[in-house]
Amino acid sequence: MASAIVRSTLRTALRGGARVNPASTRSFSAGASAEEEAREAAKWEKITYVGIVACTILAAVNLSKGHPHFEEPPAYPYLHIRNKEFPWGPDGLFEVKEHH
Amino acid sequence: MGSFEQKDPGPIGALATTVGGVMYMHSFQGGATLLSLGLIFILYTMFVWWRDVLRESTLEGHHTKVVQLGPRYGFILFIVSEVMFLFALFRASSHSSLAPTVEIGGIWPPKGIAVLDPREIPFLNTLIPLSSGAAVTWAHHAILAGKEKRAVYALVATVSLALVFTAFQGMEYYQAPSTISDIIYGSTFFLATGFHGFHVIIGTLFSIVCGIRQYLGHLTKEHHVGFEAAAWYWHFVDVVRLFPFVSIYWWGGI
Repeated sequence: MASAIVRSTLRTALRGGARVNPASTRSFSAGASAEEEAREAAKWEKITYVGIVACTILAAVNLSKGHPHFEEPPAYPYLHIRNKEFPWGPDGLFEVKEHH
Repeated sequence: MGSFEQKDPGPIGALATTVGGVMYMHSFQGGATLLSLGLIFILYTMFVWWRDVLRESTLEGHHTKVVQLGPRYGFILFIVSEVMFLFALFRASSHSSLAPTVEIGGIWPPKGIAVLDPREIPFLNTLIPLSSGAAVTWAHHAILAGKEKRAVYALVATVSLALVFTAFQGMEYYQAPSTISDIIYGSTFFLATGFHGFHVIIGTLFSIVCGIRQYLGHLTKEHHVGFEAAAWYWHFVDVVRLFPFVSIYWWGGI
């Protein structure tokens, strides 16, 4: 019984939300009218702007911190493994040698 | 009858890429060239394939509701297969991190590995995909409401956030204290985040195509399977990002 409900819900969702009954009980259904859709769109637009502002602030904070320095670890045998050289040379793709 | 474009160029691209890739990694002559040619061929195949899909659907109108089920089901199954793949990578990370072996000091992160602060770039790079997911939801509702211009702006926001994410991820990779060759920590970290980043790039390209199509008026409020596929993919990429953030960056660094 439960699997039949799941299957029919999946089928209706896949068909792009065809109307089965006027009072839709599916929680992920698309809004029934253009005004509702427009309100949903406006809501998500505001959420997006909040997100963009938060990300911009955090990005500025992160970029102002500068390059982090990590201590050189002891030469354990399991670090910096080079059983065979890379085809492009000795360094890894994102490896930068510290010059200072 | 029988022009080259009507024959399927796919297998040639796949063969050239795989053979060229193996040749390149084993430093055979001509490997890099063959690999590049293979990749270009694959991109060409993708372009002509999807161009034909758009011709048949948007321009010739062959995609009835029943026909649309094919791409819908198919894309959902594709995303499920991607979930399986990424699950394997995260399982690899858990396998090594939950019971660290004595050779790496019996601790996680292993002795000698310095980790990134999860509150810095990793946190920002989790917030950015979440905001981008909100933007694509905005775009979807705008399309359903018939607000075509707003939908284009929403997709521009989606793509811009995605590009910023990729830029920060590249910066993080350069600043990372460990590399992929640094024992199992490096392997699992860079494979999981790297493949996630690769999926972000693919999702970004998909969203750019949707933005262009929306601008050209291809998408209607009743019929926009391509956009829905892009949005599903984007939410999938977004949710996946939460897993490495919690398990690898946050828990894995404690």
